[in-house]
This record gives sequence, C-alpha cells and structure tokens, in this order.
Amino acid sequence: MKASDALIELFRRTHGEVHNQLIDSLLAGRLSRRAFMRHGSCLGVSLATLGSIAGGVGLVAGPRLARAQGAGGTIRVAQNAPASAIDPVKIADGPGLAILSYVGDFLCFDRNDLTLEPMLAESWSPNKDGTVWTFKLRQGVKFHNGKPLTADDVVASIERLADPANGSNALSAFTGYLSKGGTRKVDDQTVAFHLDAANGSFPYLVSSDNYNAIILPADYAGNFEQSMIATGAFKLEKYTPQVGASFVRNADYWGGQVAPERIEATFYADIQPQILALQGGQADVILQAPVLQSVAVLNDPNFEVISLPSTAHQQLHMRNDMEPFKDPRVRRAVALTLDRQKLVQGLMKGRAKIGNDSPFAGVYPMTDKSVPQRERNIAEAKELMAAAGMANGFETTLTTERFLEIPDYAVLVQNAVKEIGGKINLNVLDQGAYYGDAVYGKSPWLDSVMGITDYGHRGVPNVFLSAPLRSDGTWNGAHFKNKDYDQLVTSYIASLDVEAQRATAGKIQRLLLEETPVIFSYFYDYLTVVKKGMSGVLTTAMGQLLLAKATMG
Amino acid sequence: MARFLLKRVAMSLITLWLLSVIVFTAGQVLPGNVGRAMLGPFADQRAVDALNHEMGTDRPLLVQYGDWISRFVQGDMGRSYAYRAPVAPFVGNALANSAKLALVAFLLVVPLSLAMGVMAALHAGRPVDRIIMVAGMSATIVPEFVSGIILILIFGVWLRWLPISATWRPGAGFFGQLYHLLLPAIPLVLILFGYIARMARAGTIEALDADYTRTAVLKGLPQSTVLWRHVLRNALLPTVSVIATQTAYLIGGLVVIETLFHYQGIGSLIFLAANKKDFPMLQAGVLAVGCVFAVASLMADLIYSWLNPRIRFGAGE
Repeated sequence: MKASDALIELFRRTHGEVHNQLIDSLLAGRLSRRAFMRHGSCLGVSLATLGSIAGGVGLVAGPRLARAQGAGGTIRVAQNAPASAIDPVKIADGPGLAILSYVGDFLCFDRNDLTLEPMLAESWSPNKDGTVWTFKLRQGVKFHNGKPLTADDVVASIERLADPANGSNALSAFTGYLSKGGTRKVDDQTVAFHLDAANGSFPYLVSSDNYNAIILPADYAGNFEQSMIATGAFKLEKYTPQVGASFVRNADYWGGQVAPERIEATFYADIQPQILALQGGQADVILQAPVLQSVAVLNDPNFEVISLPSTAHQQLHMRNDMEPFKDPRVRRAVALTLDRQKLVQGLMKGRAKIGNDSPFAGVYPMTDKSVPQRERNIAEAKELMAAAGMANGFETTLTTERFLEIPDYAVLVQNAVKEIGGKINLNVLDQGAYYGDAVYGKSPWLDSVMGITDYGHRGVPNVFLSAPLRSDGTWNGAHFKNKDYDQLVTSYIASLDVEAQRATAGKIQRLLLEETPVIFSYFYDYLTVVKKGMSGVLTTAMGQLLLAKATMG
Repeated sequence: MARFLLKRVAMSLITLWLLSVIVFTAGQVLPGNVGRAMLGPFADQRAVDALNHEMGTDRPLLVQYGDWISRFVQGDMGRSYAYRAPVAPFVGNALANSAKLALVAFLLVVPLSLAMGVMAALHAGRPVDRIIMVAGMSATIVPEFVSGIILILIFGVWLRWLPISATWRPGAGFFGQLYHLLLPAIPLVLILFGYIARMARAGTIEALDADYTRTAVLKGLPQSTVLWRHVLRNALLPTVSVIATQTAYLIGGLVVIETLFHYQGIGSLIFLAANKKDFPMLQAGVLAVGCVFAVASLMADLIYSWLNPRIRFGAGE
C-alpha cells in the first residue's frame, strides 16, 4: 500500500460521512485541488492533512513566494480613518476592521484562496445535517491581560453578537442561522453552535469573513479603545481617534514570534495624502489602494502591489416589477450591451476579473465554469428588445452612489445601452443619500428602477445569493422574486456535500443568466501597496492586515 | 464704548443660538438616520433600532434639541455618536490645531501682503506694481489643492525638506510644530496674498490722494512720517475687515488643506461629523467656528474704531 493510500484510508476511518464524500469526489477527479482544499477546510480538516492527501493523488500546490524572515522595526501603515469608535460588536467599516486585525483573532481565518485556516479554534466539524457545528479551541492562548482563553470567552463573544439588544453589525450575517442561545459551551475547550437552519459553510460566519467575530474576554463591557484586550499579535500602545494608533509586539502570541516591534497606523481622510505619504517615505504600507486613484503608485517600481482577486463588486440592479425592466428579455439585452473585457481593462486598469451576471465569481471554487460566459452581442440584444416589444428603446433613470469608480461605470453603462435605443438619465447621489434609511420605501438603493450598489468581499457567496436576490431578501433592489431560485439557494447553503453544492451552483448561475435581475460585470481586486523589499505582509480582501510576520527587508 | 461692546456681544449670542437651531434642523432633514449612518446600509434593522435607542436618537426632535441645549448652556457639549466619547476634547483639539495653522498663515501673509500692497501703491502703474498685482492674482486663483499637491511633491517627495503630514509627533515643541505647519500654510498664503495686497494697495492709493495727506506733505512733514502716520493708518482700514472675514475661513474652512496635509482641524471635524450624522459633534464644531467668527468680527470692529476715530466717537454718542 502506498503512503498516500494509507493516509486516505486512515482519514476515511477517522472521519464521518461528509468527509468520506469529499474524498470520493477527489478520487473520482471531480474536484480541483483548490475546491478540495476549500471544502475540506470548511469541514474542519487541517490544511496540512488536506495538502498531503491532495499531493498523494498528484494534485500539487503551485509555487509560493518565498519570503525572507527578519525581525524588529516599526511598520508604518497609512489607512483611512475608522468611521466610528472601535467597538468589535458594532464595527461596520473596513478601516475599523483593520485595527481589529492588529489586535484580535477569529476562531478561523479565511485565507486568500478562500480556504479556512485554524486560528483560535484548532478544529471543527458538523453533525450529519450541518445544523450543529462543534469547535475545539486551541490550548495555551492568552489574552493581552494574561488571562487564558476558554470556551466561556468564545460563547460570550458570539452570544454578544447574536443578541439583538446589542445592536451588532453581525446580526445580518447570523439571521436565519444563529440566534441568541445557540452558542453553547461543551467543555472548557469546546464550543457547539446549534443553528436555526442547516448551513454547510457555517465556519465562515465565525471566521475573519465576519467583521465582528473577533474573540474577546467574556467580561468585555465596551470601551474597547481604552485597552483593546484580545488575543492578537499586537497589543495596543495608544489609540487617538481620527489621528492614529500604535501597537507593540505581543510577546505571548500563540502564533509564535511576532516580527515587527511596533505598528504605527496613521489615519487619513482620503487616499491622495496616503499616496503622498508613501512617496515621501512617511509610510510603508497603504492598506487599501482604490485602482483609479492609485495609478501613480501602482506602476512605480519603488513599490510593490499586493493584488488579491476578491469577490467585491458593483451590482447593477434592474427593477423586475417595474417598466422598462419587467420583461427579462430587456434585462438580458441591457446585459448584452456591456463589453466586460473592456470594462476590466479600461475602467479597472486590468485589476478585476469579469463577471457572468451571478454572484459566482471565478475565484469561488464552487463556481460552475461550464456555464457559458455572457459576451457583448448587440445583434442579439436588439432581437431581444424587438421580441419584448421595445424595438424603439426605453428611457429610465439610473440612480447610484458617488463611491470608487461607480460614477464612471454608470456613464459607461449609459453609453453602452444607447446602442439598443436605451436612454438612461444618471442620478448620482452622495453615499448616505443613496442608501437612505436602507429599508424599502425609504432608500433610493432599494427603490430605484435601476441602480448600482457596492458590495464588499465575502469568502462564500451565501450573503450575495440571499440578501440581494431572494424573494425575502432585505437588500433586494431588483425586487427579484423567484421560488425556484429561493429553493436552489436554500439547498446550496444547507449542503455539506461538495458535488451537490457545485451542481446547485450551476443551476443558480443558469437561472440568473436567464432572468438577469442584476448585472455582475466584474469583481475587482483588493490592492495593498507596500514599500519595495517588504516581505511577509498578509492582507485579506475583507480589509484585514496581518503583520505578525512582516519585515522591512 | 461699553454699550457698543455689550450690544455686539448680545447680537453675537443671538446669532449663535440661531446657528444652533439651523444646524440642528438642517441635520434632521438629511436623509437616513443616525443608527443607520453608524452601522452602515447592510446592518440588520434590529441592530439599527437598538443603537438609535441607546443613543437617544429615537426620541422626538424637540426633546433631543431641548436636552442638547440645556446641557450645552451648562458647559456640557455632549457625547459624539460616532466616537462614543465626550465631544469637548475633539472640538478643543481641532480648534487649537486650526488656530495654530491660521496663526502661522497669518504671520506669513499679513506682513508680506501689506508690504507688497503698499509698495505696489507707491509705484502704482509701474512695473513693480504690475508684477506684484499679477503675481498676487495668479496665486489667488490657483485652488489650494493644486498648489498643495505641487508643494508636497516639490518639498515633501522630491527634496524631502519639509514633512508631508502637518500632524507632528506627540510632545513636539514650538519649532517642531512650526516645521510641520510651514508647508500647509503656504497654499493659504498664496490664496490670501493677492486679496489682502490688493486691498492694501487700493487703501494706500486712496489715502495718498486724500486731502489730509496733501496737507501733511505741504506742511513739510518728512515722507516717512506722512506714510506711517497718515497714509498707512487709513490704508489699513479696509484691510482689517478683510483679514477679519478671512479668519473664519482660515479656522473653519480648510477641509481640503486639512485632508491633503493630514491635519485634524475644525473644518474636517465638522465635515466628517456632517457625513456621519454625528450631530453633537457637528453642532459643537459649527458653534465653535461661529464663536471664532463672532470674536474676530468684534476684534475687527474694535481695531477699526481704534484706527478710525469717527466710528469710536460715533459709537459713544
């Protein structure tokens, strides 16, 4: 028996049915290495084990960048100012999340290849139907105040987020899956999550994919900015709202030696001064560089760009219940006018991947790549318009927000649609005005006939599939209501079986191409710029910045 | 004089109260609510409602205003919604920062533009005059974000003589702070120079043509005495008003410069507060700028009356 066979045999004997299905799919050649790693990590199998099994069947990882290691020094980060007080329970913005990533840890970490890596949890596994997930905690982890991490801290942290009375931003992610009382201590090192409904990718909800899910001491009572007691690689030295913060190395970090002695984060109101600070040698890292505003440094040989394919995108919705978009043929015609390749190259300077009018970005391992890519086709678009009785075109208003490249994107859509006789009037609003009260009837975002809305990165497409597209979705700007779709999404989210999940993904992709309630033209890359020679900087498309292994070179 | 002062102070207080009402009302008509602005569009409505309740922003508007104003008159400026901390230190720091930047800009621009304005007037119609006026006009019409970026690129990025960020390290002394403020002060100097120099030039030319100047010259006073005692004193009158009106701009209107040079002044504090619907911060910030404007106007009136006895004695009548 080969060593790899022995390993697989051992794995089969020590794991349950869903894990064995995963191995079956791998051996039958129905899974890529990435899909196997991603799904296996979600089921709580260690990446080392998964890598060994994949390697044993001939699926070898690509080369990884070798990074030199050294220690010491201060790393100066330029970042946007957090929008509000740093409170892990309520935080809703990327810059605030970055601060949390310096000091805090999650149960598991969503890596850039969308696999989950253990952080404060060492392992996790679901019950047979995915309604109970049990997490084993890492031993020997200490908070910054010296207290050991226990199951009580994890239960209190997650319960705090699930309790509606605390006004946590995590509620929208937990709703339907995890309610107050669902997080229970099994023993000092074990926590079980009893879900309201089956969820095959639940670990992502308590991973770095969820802004608010860092683990805090059980007795946390607010005022996080005062001490920022958590378990992360850096301890708070000083925090000054609107100005900046400094952090020092946590000598007791569970993850081993922390390379930098200090981090100095400076808060800026805009990207332009951050670029100037980097160019002027007063910053080493720009946390997030929007592509249009950062051209000056993206092509400068003095800096390196860390470019992460992400699932962040701009959704172009069309009201399914209002003219001129009631007929799906009109919606498809609009989608067919867009030249996605040109959008990626021109608008996004090549820093994006084209979309196929569903939330299934190419980067998701579950995306069914056999679904044909929608391409620009004016002749077909005109035929569709004629068939829908709109050969003479239509006139409508596209309402959107002044954010990143969206106003430019809106103009490109406006021009593209002219080819099929579409006249679009633009109504570009301030971000706050566009979102309004963010409830139906009080929000241009949710009420407009046509709109463009920004969506941040998610490690699994569950939120994108649900809130903006399900009949009961709370962010359904397109007012898309389709029972078949709702059932497919329920089944996709609940599924623990990797092949069933991929098959459902294909069905969802085809249904959305047919209906086209929302146009997904591209998914843009998350860009971080660092001084040349820096190494070990780890970022996520969520906006976390992990500097524990970073060196100045 | 005392009555004049009292009247002006009373007027200022009424203005500030009206300002507070206007800011409060304007803040309420902006779309969206406070909890939503804090938690973002994707937060669950239950979380938004809980936060609004916690902050008291779900109470009737009049109750909220009454609560705020009654605390304000007792010296409590309230707590920031966004930062969940007392507003006063934020406003105090920002105001002090803005005052420092304004002071550096004033110390550079006022002597320079007065001297240049007077020099242009004394050489009216000649090349010196034209050069000063054209240069002043050109500098004024260049927006501060353009001149700011050019200055940063030259002195901060290429030559690396001056820091790009106007924010100094904690514990920096007088010269350390001055070193950081020089670069952001220059765009302000450029903007104000043309304006103040032009007023100084016009005032000086008018004073040079006045009967009292001719009389002073004819009675044989030395040229320097005529200039200092008769011409400059009268020429400064319109300039003082201009400087006073620019104070409010220099204290509260520098959002662009503060953003570009990474400086926490009161302008950007107000701008951010308005964006985040952080009403306690917004109201305190606007009132602080209002107070500065009121004090600056009062000072201008006092200086004006000191320079122009007709006003001083007229007020006393």
